[in-house]
Amino acid sequence: MNIVVQPTKNEAERAFAAHFDAIASSLPGADLAWMARLRTDAMAAFETGGLPHRRLEAWKFTDLRSRIDQVFDPASDGAEAISESDIYDVLGRGFDELYCYRVVVADGVFRPELSHLDGLEDRIEVLSLRDVLADGDGAEWLRGQLAKAVAGEDDTVVALNTAFMSDGVVVRVADGAVIERPLHIALVTGSTEPETVTVRNVVEVGRGARLTLLETYSTRRSPDILRNSATQMTVHDGAEVHHIKLQNHGMRAVDLATWMVELGASAIYRACQFTIGSALSRNQIYLRFNGAGSVANLAAASMLWDEQHSDTTINVDHAAPGCESRELFKCVLDDRARGVFQGKVTVRQIAQKTDGKQMAQALMLGEHAEFDSKPELEIFADDVICGHGSTSGRLDEDMLFYLRARGIGEDVASALLVQAFIGEALGAVENEEVREALRLMAAAWLSHSRA
Amino acid sequence: MLEIKNLHARIGDEENEILRGIDLAIPMGEVHAIMGPNGSGKSTLGYVIAGKDDYEVTAGDVLWNGESILEMSPDERAAAGVFLAFQYPVEIPGVATMTFLRTAVNAVRKARGEEELNVAAFMRVVREKAEKLNVTQEMLKRPLNVGFSGGEKKRMEILQMAMLEPTLCVLDETDSGLDIDSVRIVSEGVNALRGPERAMCVITHYQRLLNYIVPDRVHVLSRGRIVKSGGKELALQLEQSGYAEFGSDQAA
Repeated sequence: MNIVVQPTKNEAERAFAAHFDAIASSLPGADLAWMARLRTDAMAAFETGGLPHRRLEAWKFTDLRSRIDQVFDPASDGAEAISESDIYDVLGRGFDELYCYRVVVADGVFRPELSHLDGLEDRIEVLSLRDVLADGDGAEWLRGQLAKAVAGEDDTVVALNTAFMSDGVVVRVADGAVIERPLHIALVTGSTEPETVTVRNVVEVGRGARLTLLETYSTRRSPDILRNSATQMTVHDGAEVHHIKLQNHGMRAVDLATWMVELGASAIYRACQFTIGSALSRNQIYLRFNGAGSVANLAAASMLWDEQHSDTTINVDHAAPGCESRELFKCVLDDRARGVFQGKVTVRQIAQKTDGKQMAQALMLGEHAEFDSKPELEIFADDVICGHGSTSGRLDEDMLFYLRARGIGEDVASALLVQAFIGEALGAVENEEVREALRLMAAAWLSHSRA
Repeated sequence: MLEIKNLHARIGDEENEILRGIDLAIPMGEVHAIMGPNGSGKSTLGYVIAGKDDYEVTAGDVLWNGESILEMSPDERAAAGVFLAFQYPVEIPGVATMTFLRTAVNAVRKARGEEELNVAAFMRVVREKAEKLNVTQEMLKRPLNVGFSGGEKKRMEILQMAMLEPTLCVLDETDSGLDIDSVRIVSEGVNALRGPERAMCVITHYQRLLNYIVPDRVHVLSRGRIVKSGGKELALQLEQSGYAEFGSDQAA
């Protein structure tokens, strides 16, 4: 007789299960058999695996099971109203005047009245996930997209997202369309009540098309939120995508964010993620090369203080030959903050002539800060170039002295060096306005952490 | 006037002193050369004047215009008019040269009670001074000192000196690694700053630089002490006889 060992569920896991039982029938797409099934299967996967914990290699440094002790009620449609100026307030200087299309997802619901899609070029569609689920053809298309999300099957954070997704933004860019204006998806929490927010964005960029997509994750009011966001993207042959994310929640938030990206042949994908908020955050990127000759450039920067913990885990899967991947991770750690970088590169046997490099660097400002870096290479092809490196250290004394010998005070000199350090990652953002807005935010962080 | 009195200094906690009782006075308007063999303490003297943390002054004092500067931070010394042109200028990736120059100039101006320069005025001054030192616009666009040749770095040092308008200039081996054209350009830059309101201390191993920057006095530093002083002709004598008679201590 087989004895099935079921680990005891903790309170958070039981809460997720209870919430699912309570709201599954009212989630978008509940009337579609395939969608209901997708959610139920995902929930079953979550119940089997539970919240990820440190005994799983991918979660070695970030034990969600012990860290998440409270699961707030799912955000409801009746969430408090949030105004446009609220959104600018949380994003700060530089973002309010950004030349872009803007869609707002507040408390897990797409808000057309807050969005700016006037003059939307006619070869891009920007819709709510709910609306697409309610539309026959759209729903069929979405079914195909959701089915092929490239996350690891055992990723129960993504499973939770699939089970609970309440809305999100669907973006479809036609073949050959060059969308000049950046598209800004602002995920914001406006509720005054603690809540759990689950959003899924689905993006498809046609052959030879070009898109700049900015995602911002912010909190306006309630400090207590648990956010699970996933953005899945298909970049077809010859397309070029610039993808940027800023996460600046309040210091009590928990943010779990997953990007799942699939690249066709001869595609270009340039990403930059900037993390300064949340008590606990996990930034996951799953990227798969499906076609030959593509380039992916992934930059990530975190600036953390107090007792913040932020984990950036990148999985790059070279499943096609002749592709190039670059990963640059930079984190600045003050006080007792903890930064984690895990970079896994898989080169399958077919992926000859792969060129993959990663670098992780930490700047330790705090006496008790901690940085964990774990590169992982799995190479099954023989003609490849792969490399990784990792450094951590304090501000360079010789550089500091040089700046101070020119009359620059210690604080300003340190700030210049910290900004230079983080600027290397933020420099990956091609759009100048967005880049400068992020740099302003990095500069503001320096005074914030000393407040 | 710079007055150095019985200055003793060592690196951190090391037992051996590198400077072992230096006495030196440089009046306003004068240029003094400090010459000496490798390891005699020349660079240490420059760093101690500029305030580098690595060195500990164990005795003596450094007075600038009658006040001790030893308790001042490096940036306070810069504001007070002290400038060290580094033998090895530091490369700082990610810090734009222009951002650095403007931050430094305005920090020093503010500390001296002068108005900050606005962007336009600053740009005008930089362009004018850079041109004279053969510092190209392209160099100004790069991160500070990154990828600069030896000569470019030294010219950048002199440009910083010209921008910050210090009253005490300490030049540490500014001629090292320079070809003859660069020595000429750098020297012209330094000579342009000579004047009654400024004291200069030129540290050099070789006499060559002193053909271009003609000193009022020459001091020979050996084993952490000044062992001989004289007029500019002393440098020529040293060129003939070498440092052998003064020994060549290998300490640091």
